[in-house]
Amino acid sequence: MYGSRLPPIALTTNCPSCGVGLVPEDLREQVYVCACGHHFRMHADAWIAMVADPGTWEERWADVRPHDLLEWKVPKPYQETIEQAREEGLNEAVRIGTAEVAGRSIWLAVFDFRFVGGTLSIVAGERLARGFEQATASRTPYVLIAATGGARMQEGVLALMQMAKVNGALSRLHRAGVPYLSVLTDPTYGGTPASLAMQGDVNIAEPGASIGFTGPRIIKQATYADLPPGFQSADFQLRCGQVDMVVPRTELRERLAHLLCLYCRGL
Amino acid sequence: MAAQRDTLSIWQVVELARHRDRPYSLDYIKRLAPDFIELHGDRISHDDPAVVAGIGTWHGLTTVFIGQQKGRNLADRVARNWGMMHPEGFRKALRMARQAVKFGFPIISLVDTPGAFPGESAEERGISSAIGAAIMEWFEIAVPVIAVVIGEGSSGGALGIAVADRVLMLENSLYTVASPEAAASIVWRDNARKVEAAAQLQITSRDLLAMGVVEEVVPEPEGGAHADYDDAARELDAALWRHMEPLLSMEAGELLQHRYERFRYVDSLVAADPRFGPKVEPKVQVPAESMDAAGS
Repeated sequence: MYGSRLPPIALTTNCPSCGVGLVPEDLREQVYVCACGHHFRMHADAWIAMVADPGTWEERWADVRPHDLLEWKVPKPYQETIEQAREEGLNEAVRIGTAEVAGRSIWLAVFDFRFVGGTLSIVAGERLARGFEQATASRTPYVLIAATGGARMQEGVLALMQMAKVNGALSRLHRAGVPYLSVLTDPTYGGTPASLAMQGDVNIAEPGASIGFTGPRIIKQATYADLPPGFQSADFQLRCGQVDMVVPRTELRERLAHLLCLYCRGL
Repeated sequence: MAAQRDTLSIWQVVELARHRDRPYSLDYIKRLAPDFIELHGDRISHDDPAVVAGIGTWHGLTTVFIGQQKGRNLADRVARNWGMMHPEGFRKALRMARQAVKFGFPIISLVDTPGAFPGESAEERGISSAIGAAIMEWFEIAVPVIAVVIGEGSSGGALGIAVADRVLMLENSLYTVASPEAAASIVWRDNARKVEAAAQLQITSRDLLAMGVVEEVVPEPEGGAHADYDDAARELDAALWRHMEPLLSMEAGELLQHRYERFRYVDSLVAADPRFGPKVEPKVQVPAESMDAAGS
């Protein structure tokens, strides 16, 4: 297993699903999947370490930084949010770069849920769109790992516009015949699945991930509906025809490598 | 008119945009093209009554009209689902767009929605992928497309029919990443903070014009569009034709490249100068070259 190369992530003392006491080193070895099957949320650094062959990740456009364009003040000034995240060593909600998976070159874009809930922002959109443009030009497959709460409210309508900006670039990648694999992890909501995350040639969901457009809290507020158990789960999305497969994290790397092999034969 | 605009609070604009007598899509379409014929269905499973689509004669051209439609009384509002689209609505719009390409018809798309339907039925039928697929395909519709926000333009539900060569807004309309209620619910977990949310989101037509997200604000009659439907439609017609005429002579490839760049660099104005919004004079015109510059 390649778990040993993953960085540590913040964990609870016990598994929220089965209650077993967690041993961080053992869990890391199992790519943060409990023996009971519970998938713990991983941050961008862990995803990159897991998916990319060791030493192949080259991050791009890390210097593109967010600005408080709307002068957003309450409940918390956006400028403060940005600065605090930067002090914690976080660099926006999407990180992107080139890497290799089983020796094959890819573009890898990873959402980081720790940065303002993995929200689609101007910087996130810019990095994603530039990645699609470069991948189209070089005919390099593109792999997305999504973990997102949707568009970033603090950037207003400009965050909404990122959905068009990114999907415009994605439509060109598709037309050029370049493969695009989308991995949906917990949680994937709002403007991200409603733009690029559901448009993969293959959509892969993680077991237990919650995936949807509108979150359950807002659906209940709007429609007073009692939502059935398992609503918006990975299995629900499989049943509804929205994802192609639900793949345990322990098997994801092999599955990506296999898919890339099949789709890249003509490239 | 300018005086009226300056004295309205942001929430007053929201209320005008949602006014129960405000002209809806069909009110405009019937005035723009009196011979309008509505067409129905996505040819897969449903007809979404939250969006109307069809063809009619406009300035001598057969034109495709698409418009999110609200209801005038309670029964009508329920039937129209308050203008909140399901996946099949986005597919109906795309079906009409493909038909427009087949015949070379220009497209006018009218936006008036609180958002895509936030409910179980929409989730089950794949509202996320329907919107995402629509946004992608609009970039390949090789005929002129103009979108106009005539009332509420909220979230991906609005954007799903607003990927266009020009995007206009009526003076008292709003265009936002999420309705003020939804944004308050997300940011404060309390949708009662909607007024504060609306102020911070910067959602009025003058905000969007200053940001460079829309090309033009179409003036409304004194008191708002509901005061005089005919006058409101005349102003809209004039603005639409002014923008449509130059698009009609563009080559398909040039048109699609322009549409791509329009959205690819839609944030370049604010990236270049993060000073915009209500602090700036509302009459700022977006210079064409700033749309192509930078963005990086």
